Amino acid sequence: MNLRALLPLTLPLVFALIVAVFAVQAPGFLSAGNLHSLLLNNFVLLAIVAIGMTYAVAAGGIDLSVGTALDFASFSFVVLLNGGHGWAVAATGALVAALLVGVFNAGLIAGLRISPFLATLGTLFIGTSAQQLLSDGGQPIYIAQGVKPELTGLIPLLIVLGLALFYGLALARGRLGRELLAQGTQPLLAYYSGLSVRRIVTVVALATALACGVAGVLLSSTVSAYVPLSGNAFLLNAIGAVFIGTTLSRQGRANIPGTLLGVLFINVIANGLLLIGWNFYWQQVATGVLIFVVLTFSFASRRVLERS
Amino acid sequence: MLDVVTPGFSQRVWVLVLRRGSVGVFLAILVGFAVAAPNFLSVGNLANVFSQSAILGVLAFGLTCVIIGGGSNVVAGGLDLSLAANLGLCAAVFSRLNNACLELWLSVLLTLGCGLAVGVLNGLAVVLLRLPPLLATLASMNVLAGLELVLTENTVVSTDSPLLDLLSGGTWLAVPALAWVLLVTAGVLTLLIQHSAYGLRLHAVGEYPQAAQAAGIRVPAYVLSSYLLSGLCAAVAALCSAAFFSGSTTGSGDMLLSVVAIAFLGVVFSRRLVASIPGTLLAALLIGFLINGFQLLNVSSFWVNGVQGVLILLVVAASSALNRGVHP
Repeated sequence: MNLRALLPLTLPLVFALIVAVFAVQAPGFLSAGNLHSLLLNNFVLLAIVAIGMTYAVAAGGIDLSVGTALDFASFSFVVLLNGGHGWAVAATGALVAALLVGVFNAGLIAGLRISPFLATLGTLFIGTSAQQLLSDGGQPIYIAQGVKPELTGLIPLLIVLGLALFYGLALARGRLGRELLAQGTQPLLAYYSGLSVRRIVTVVALATALACGVAGVLLSSTVSAYVPLSGNAFLLNAIGAVFIGTTLSRQGRANIPGTLLGVLFINVIANGLLLIGWNFYWQQVATGVLIFVVLTFSFASRRVLERS
Repeated sequence: MLDVVTPGFSQRVWVLVLRRGSVGVFLAILVGFAVAAPNFLSVGNLANVFSQSAILGVLAFGLTCVIIGGGSNVVAGGLDLSLAANLGLCAAVFSRLNNACLELWLSVLLTLGCGLAVGVLNGLAVVLLRLPPLLATLASMNVLAGLELVLTENTVVSTDSPLLDLLSGGTWLAVPALAWVLLVTAGVLTLLIQHSAYGLRLHAVGEYPQAAQAAGIRVPAYVLSSYLLSGLCAAVAALCSAAFFSGSTTGSGDMLLSVVAIAFLGVVFSRRLVASIPGTLLAALLIGFLINGFQLLNVSSFWVNGVQGVLILLVVAASSALNRGVHP
């Protein structure tokens, strides 16, 4: 019996167990209304940011400036909409703004060879200042009356699926994905194999920023406003989701299906504990403990299997 | 590039220039502010900067210990993302205990115990469960932030005690108490980390664990101890924060990234461009002087983050350019 093959099943099994417990304990959990709000309100934005983060982690780095890219997109979207431009122009402008953050990161990481963690930390700080200056210290900018964003209903969910499909296939099946994972798992080997590290790093920074740009457009059309520095709320959960998702892969690599399951995992725990009637404050404790347990379990089982 | 193992002469010169240069930039900023803002160099203002840097500085010392003991690779090496949340929790614990009319020394002891316990938790997760520090402390950050909310119910828990009054208002030799806390903590940790046998071994463990292991050093114990130090620093910073805000406040988690920035900024003030306690102290003061100078010059404080970001990038870009010859 090949135990190693069972390793990727850990996370889905734990997830199924948790869903089963909530389904029994909290009667409203499986209702259509709850699942609808779970997916549309909680899942969508974190999932998109986490998809972007997956690329950064897969290439052996991390991106602390996802919130900055998201906020810049959100700001441009709202300003362009209020300026009387059409919806399509605003969305395009938003994505361009997010990509600028990606270009900046790429310049730092590929050009100046700063480690992704510190480069994106610097970007995050500069982005924070820029937003404070642009918004007079954090005043929200509301979308003007009469301008209606057209991203309602199931469209956000379709966007997530589309992005997941595109990013997922490129990572798991594409040439880029192979190069990226090579760079992430064996950077020296990738280097000596003649892979262009700079190109990989640049593509990753742009791909991450682009996903965050999409999340920014969705966020501001959901809340009808640009709220400065709201993107940072997704940062740590996105990192958590990606690393929880790595347990889905036998080699412990970042992958899109795993990331999506990680996001669902985080959302379902918060939602289920709320329905059971747990205090909001204890929810956060429980979420942390559960993440801890899952990580411990998956890292321990991987070590045991490697030894055998 | 591979054949350069020891830094060549020109490289040594550049390291020297960079190090002197960063101290020079520090002095230039001081002089600039001193010329532009007449009050800047007054004793009162300098003391003010030192006490305002105490909380972030002490937290950054904790992170520095962890970085030294775990290696400076931010994903696989030492990192403690739970520091700021630990501060929030310890401040909440102290405020609640103090309001429950516990003896002062017992409250202080339990607060320090709380910080230490968090350090043990993080350390064991890293050493025993072998979780990457980034993930282990990310998870514990969530737990701690949750526990803080449970204790404070997301409100400000104000408290007052003679200790807090002493810390916030007391002075000795014209130096405020919080500044003393910063300087004494820096002094003790400098002796411990930079000048003791323990510190030397901790450096060895962080930079070359296999060699340290081969030399007979119990690597896990030393890594664990660095997280204990970090937890203790969080508790000390929590007492400072409780004194500064007269109790526990919400939103302490926002300090996390500033702490990370200070610890990595401090690298440029050390001779070999590695994390060190004196370097971190200088970095914390540099940020403190920047914020203070901007206030005196009526420059919007919104610029502070940006300047901090640019500084980090400059420092890291310069040091990575210098290290490139040694580590391709």
